Amino acid sequence: MKLFHIVLIVTMVLSLAGCNRSSQKQQQRLHLFAWSEYVPQEVIDGFTKQTGIPVDYEVYDSNEKMLTKLLSSPAHYDLIQPSEYMVEHLIKRGLLEPIDQSAIPNVSNLLPEYRNPEYDPGMKYSVPYMAGTVGIVFNSDKIKDPIRGYQDVFQPKYAGRIIALDDNREIVSWALDAKGIDINDVTPANLTKVKPLLADWLKLVKIFNSDDPKPQLFSGDVDLGVVYCGDAAKLIEQDKKFKYVLPAEGAHRFIDNLCIPKDAPDKQAAEAFINYILRPEVSKIISDKFPYTNPNGAARKLLTPQQLANPASYPPESVHLEIFHDIGKANADISQLMTELRNGR
Amino acid sequence: MPQAVAIQPALNVRRPGWRGWGLFAPMVAWLALFVVAPTAILLVYSFFTGEGIGEVDTHFTLENYRRIFKPVYLDLFWRSIVYAGATTILCAMIGYPVAWYIGRAPASRRGKLLMLVMIPFMTSFLIRTYAWFTILHEHGLLNGFLESAHLIPTVFSHPLNILYTPTAVMIALVYTYLPFMILPIYTSVEKLDPSLIEAAADLGAGPTRSFFRVILPLTWPGAAAGILMVFVPAIAMFAVTKIMSGGHIRLIGDEIQEQFEGGGDLPFGSALGMALLILFLVTYWISAGRSAKVLRGT
Repeated sequence: MKLFHIVLIVTMVLSLAGCNRSSQKQQQRLHLFAWSEYVPQEVIDGFTKQTGIPVDYEVYDSNEKMLTKLLSSPAHYDLIQPSEYMVEHLIKRGLLEPIDQSAIPNVSNLLPEYRNPEYDPGMKYSVPYMAGTVGIVFNSDKIKDPIRGYQDVFQPKYAGRIIALDDNREIVSWALDAKGIDINDVTPANLTKVKPLLADWLKLVKIFNSDDPKPQLFSGDVDLGVVYCGDAAKLIEQDKKFKYVLPAEGAHRFIDNLCIPKDAPDKQAAEAFINYILRPEVSKIISDKFPYTNPNGAARKLLTPQQLANPASYPPESVHLEIFHDIGKANADISQLMTELRNGR
Repeated sequence: MPQAVAIQPALNVRRPGWRGWGLFAPMVAWLALFVVAPTAILLVYSFFTGEGIGEVDTHFTLENYRRIFKPVYLDLFWRSIVYAGATTILCAMIGYPVAWYIGRAPASRRGKLLMLVMIPFMTSFLIRTYAWFTILHEHGLLNGFLESAHLIPTVFSHPLNILYTPTAVMIALVYTYLPFMILPIYTSVEKLDPSLIEAAADLGAGPTRSFFRVILPLTWPGAAAGILMVFVPAIAMFAVTKIMSGGHIRLIGDEIQEQFEGGGDLPFGSALGMALLILFLVTYWISAGRSAKVLRGT
C-alpha cells in the first residue's frame, strides 16, 4: 500500500514537472476561454489551418465563473467572451487590453448599430460576437392559450410544465420587468417589491437549466419556459410547433463579445482570431450552428431566408429590450434573495 | 483511517524510526500542500469582506460567521444533514447484507463479486447521474417498462413522476455512495472468524442476538468507516442534487459553489466551507467515539 502511494506521488510529481516544461517552450498558441455551446469546432479548426496557430479552447457557463477563473489565472488567457455587463465591469476594473482595430480590418463587416455599444463606446476593448434575447418558448401543441408575457407563463395551471434559466440575475430581471421596474435598478427596495412575485413563480418551475433546455422541451417533459433565443431558434428549426415570444413587459437583450484580457500572452493571435471569425463565411458557420442574432451584416447576406425569418434569431423589434449593466455589489443581494426564495423563506 | 483510530487503544504503538518517517514524508508533503494549505487560505479568507465578484476587502470581520446563523443558512445545513443522514442509513441497510454476502462467499468468487461493486467507478459519475435521467424521466425507461407490464394504469394511475423530485435526489445519492459502504464493511466481514458465530449459537444466542452482540460489534470498525465515508462526502455533495432535482433542491455544497463561482462572495463561501469542516470534525469525533465504545463492549 505504501509503495503504491509513493509510486502515485512520484508519477504525479513527474507529470507536474512535465507540464512545466511544455509550457516553457515558446510557441504561438491561442488560449480561448469562451461560453459552452458557442464556438463551433469547425471554426477553431479552420483558424488553425489558416494561421498555423493551435487553439486551446476552454469553456464556462456563466460570466461570473469566467471572471473568477480569469482572476485566478492571470496572464494565461488570450481571448475571452464576456457579455455586455461583464465587459463594462472588466473595463471598470482595468482588466482588458485595448484592441488594435487596424489589426482587425473585418470589423467593417459589423452592422453599424453594433459598432458603438454603450458599454464600450467605439469598441476600444470589445468586438461583438453574437447577440440575442432571453424570451419565452412554448409548445403550441400543448399550450393553447395566448402567451404574450411573463404573467402568461407563470400561471398556476402550468405548474410543473415550466423550464427556466438557472441564472439568478436573469430570473430577477423577469420579475422586475413584470413589475415595470428597470431591470438594472437592482436596489434592496426593488428586490423587496419583486420578492412575493418571485416566490410564486419559482414554485411553478419544474426545471432550472441554463446549459441546454432543448431535450426537456423536445421530449415533452416541459411545455414552456424562458430560455436563450439560440436554443429556441434550434427548437423552431426542428419543429414548427415551438413558438418564440419576446415578453410584452420587456426583455433582456444580450451582446456577447470577444475581448483580450490584460497581460494576455499572445495578443496578436487573439486579434487574428477576432478578424477570422468576422469573415462573412466563417460567421455564417457560427450562425448555422448556434442561431443567435448575428451582428455581422456581411454574414447575414449569406444566410437563408428561413434562417432570417426565424423569430427567435431575428425577432421583430416591437418589444422594449434592454441590456444588463454592471450592478456591482447588488449581485450579492440577488444571490441572497434567491437563496432565501429557493429555501422557501 | 477510522479503523486505525478505533484499534489504537488496544495496541502499544512503537515510535517509528527515521525510515518510517521517510516513507511517511511524501504523505505529509501531500497533506500539507493539498489539505493544510488550502484550508488555511480558506480560514484567512473567511474573515474578509466580499466586495462584488472576486474582490475582497482584507479587514478582519466576523460578519461572515454571523451570517451563517441566519435561518436560511441554518436550514441549508439542516437539509444537508438530513439528506446525508438518510443516504447513510439507506446505504447501510442495503450495503451491509451485500457486504456480508460477498465476505461469506467462497474466496474464489469474492474477487468477481467485488469487481461488480467496483465497475461503476470506471465511468464518470456525472455520466452515471445523467444515465438516471434516461431511466426516470416522464417518458423514460422506468415508465415505459411499467406501461408495457400493464402496471400503469392498474397499480399506478399515471406515469411516475420521479425525476426532479427529492426521491430522484435520494436515488442518485444512494447509488453514488453505496460502494463506499460496501467495501469497508466487506473487509471487516471477511476478517470475522465464523467459529465465533457458531460459538454464539452453541451458547444459546438466537440469530438476532448473535447479530447484535457478536457480529455487529466485530464488524463495527468497517461499518463506522463506511458511515464516515458515505456521510461526510454526501453532506458536501453538489451538482448531483441540482441536476436530479432540476435545480430545486440545494444543499450546502451547492450554496458554497454558488458563492465561489456564481458571482457571490468569496469570504462568505469560505466561512460556509469552514462551518462544513467543523461539521465533518464533529461527525468524525462522534463516529470514532462510538467505535471505541463498541469495541469495549459497552
